[in-house]
Amino acid sequence: MMNFTKRGLLGAALGLAMTAAGGLPPVQAADGYPSGPITMLVGYGAGGQTDLVARAAAQVMSGELGEPINVVNMPGAGGSLAAHQLLKAAPDGQTILFHSDSVVNSAPFIIERVNFKPDDFEYAGMITAYQVGLATHKDAPFDTLPEYIAWAREHPGSSYGALSPEARMYINAIAEKEGLDVNIVPLKSGGEMLNALLGRQVELAFSGGIHFRNPDELKTISALTTFRQPSAPDVATIEEDGFPLGMDSRTTLFLPKGTPRDILDKLAAALKAAETDENFVKITESANIPIMYLGVDEAYAEIDATYEKHKKILKN
Amino acid sequence: MEYLALGFVDVLNPATMFWVAAGVTIGYVLGAIPGLGKATGVAVAIPLTFYLSPVAALGMLIGIAKGSAAGSAVSAILLNTPGEPSSAPTALDGYPLARQGKAQKALKMGLFASVIGDFVSTLILIVLAAPLARYALLIGPVELTAILLFSLTFIGGLSGGSMLKGLIAAAFGIFFATIGIEGETFIPRLTFGLLELDDGISLVPMAIGMLAVAEMMIQAGNLKKLDTETEALAQSSKPEDRSVTRAEWRRCAPVIARGTLIGSLIGILPGLGASVGSFLSYGMTRRLSRTPEKFGTGMIEGVAAAESADNAVVPSSLVPLFALGIPGSVIAAILIAAFILHGLTPGPLMFQQQPRLVADVYAAMLFASLVMLIIGYTCQGLFAKIILVPMRLIIPGVLLLCCVGAYMETSSIFSIYVMLFFTAFGYLARKLDFSFVTFLIGFVIGPKLEFSFRQSIQLLDHNTVNLLHHPIAIVFLVLTAATLWWIGWWKRPQTHCAPGERGSTPETDIARNSKGGS
Repeated sequence: MMNFTKRGLLGAALGLAMTAAGGLPPVQAADGYPSGPITMLVGYGAGGQTDLVARAAAQVMSGELGEPINVVNMPGAGGSLAAHQLLKAAPDGQTILFHSDSVVNSAPFIIERVNFKPDDFEYAGMITAYQVGLATHKDAPFDTLPEYIAWAREHPGSSYGALSPEARMYINAIAEKEGLDVNIVPLKSGGEMLNALLGRQVELAFSGGIHFRNPDELKTISALTTFRQPSAPDVATIEEDGFPLGMDSRTTLFLPKGTPRDILDKLAAALKAAETDENFVKITESANIPIMYLGVDEAYAEIDATYEKHKKILKN
Repeated sequence: MEYLALGFVDVLNPATMFWVAAGVTIGYVLGAIPGLGKATGVAVAIPLTFYLSPVAALGMLIGIAKGSAAGSAVSAILLNTPGEPSSAPTALDGYPLARQGKAQKALKMGLFASVIGDFVSTLILIVLAAPLARYALLIGPVELTAILLFSLTFIGGLSGGSMLKGLIAAAFGIFFATIGIEGETFIPRLTFGLLELDDGISLVPMAIGMLAVAEMMIQAGNLKKLDTETEALAQSSKPEDRSVTRAEWRRCAPVIARGTLIGSLIGILPGLGASVGSFLSYGMTRRLSRTPEKFGTGMIEGVAAAESADNAVVPSSLVPLFALGIPGSVIAAILIAAFILHGLTPGPLMFQQQPRLVADVYAAMLFASLVMLIIGYTCQGLFAKIILVPMRLIIPGVLLLCCVGAYMETSSIFSIYVMLFFTAFGYLARKLDFSFVTFLIGFVIGPKLEFSFRQSIQLLDHNTVNLLHHPIAIVFLVLTAATLWWIGWWKRPQTHCAPGERGSTPETDIARNSKGGS
């Protein structure tokens, strides 16, 4: 939940990225991999949604790889700090980053100072998806996005809770196209967003998925992803409602540029084991986080596709 | 009720008792180490509890949270190094007491205040979780703005000897809080292109630098004097300096009661946190004291006020979590995952579906309070010996702990630079006699007031008349005005008579100042 806030605040700063690529020590062969304990960076603070998944995944993977995995939280600037740190590491698979792919496919377009590109990293698979959506309380007089638009047109000056730049982008795009007058109430975190909805302070809010925790009190009116969400399969995506604004993000294993392919495969195989691991499934289910595993090649394709698509959406 | 009895039966078996006690002990130690807070402790411990029974696991996690809130007072009192930012006000009077050879007295008072605050707040959670949470939801940004304004009128009393210096310090606090990405338009303020500053200056390295490292610098400059003092200390430990006397209990009882109440209320309100609670309680106690000028020189009430509120926040911040499934604090947000993992989904249905498990958790929480008392009481004599160690041996160790503490949260060397920057700042502030308290309050409350004010503008649709839909906010605004009137009008003649008291209405100015700075 903390995560989602910070995810929105994807910040900043220039590519130390580039400078780190040169002058790295020779790459180890994959036979001996892993050659010792692995350091897993997480770009959000301890205790949030991503941290929860990361720690659970680390446990499964360390069992598969036979070496301990130390989770190191390095929060800041929506994960950009941790990503920079990763780029300084040797491409030997001993240092990995577990994070939302938004740090590459959205961060660069939200604030001009960010300039990560898909090519700056290697990817060893993706494991869970974020169920981003527009949520409201159970008694709201609308169930779908078109109904909300009709309602908001009749109620100018209604309020919308936004905890990230993307959240503002969505309501601005909808309001501009439909000619709505909506007040955007800034919120700091997923927890604050829940309070604002349950306390009926705002009529609609952007949620990173945490609202699925309160199925008796809250409902989703639009999925902001390109796919219908496992926790609310009956809710249409924003694309189905005529706005080509669906953006997907997933927890991804990042590696420094130049990491050999066989190390990536080995890590991806270990990550895949989480898909069916009893504890991992229990943990993600308890937090309503759907497992949507992608292998190495699929992860590269996903990053490239979302990078181009999000660029188009966020640059406008 | 019968479930609570059953709960105690479940908790009082050796294995569960062991894990709860282990949690409290770990928390106590983590709390005493600067920078290693309860959030880190609980988050790291969650995977360790996979293999425990639900009651033992949840009891252990809550024990860590409770223990660290109490443990943070130990280093605040003995070393002037608050284990967690929320214990910063404890150091203000606790450390002077320790230097006067009354370390054990301060430690005991801190412990008793902690345990009472924690215990009563736990009872509030048990009795009032469901009904209170409904009302907590009525407190939106508009109401919060009014409540914060109201509370600032009390905090103003903290500006120390010089009102002007207090105001300057508060303004600096607000200024440093503005650094980072702004929450409404997401424009970075004063970050100088540094990625590390985008999320703002973190309270932990800042508080460690200003309070602990700066203190060590100053002490390093006074080594000779302190060493002779320490030798004298060893001999002057009289029995009445080692325990809390009956007269002190009488003075502190209302203070603790008030601190507990403030802490419990702050915990129930979303998003304020333990730091706000302990500063508010300390500020109010000093404001209402007959001898406010003596605070900061070793008033036992200061320790009692800060610690009771600090610890009362932890259990009551679980009220919105238990009753509605909403995390009211960082610690509650972390616990939510642990609860679900162990088969307890926080929310109103929890009481109907799992009454036995809820009762078990309650019983474990009450038991944890008791363990806290036992562990704290057994160890305080040992802890107090630290004060007798020569300063030249303590300083290097504390500096090491400070660096570790600042580094831990972000795993980044930048935090240590932040710590060093605020060391220089804190050193100058202390030498020039500027108030730390108003600085920290400006830093903690200023931005919250700004943010809730901006939220309110949106919620009220930019129209003051809409305030009429928020009766709670109106009540607090009227109370604020009444308090200001009371301070400014009714108290003025008294202040004029008292020599050495400068500034008749520091609080109004601080309140105004915080608003203006936001």
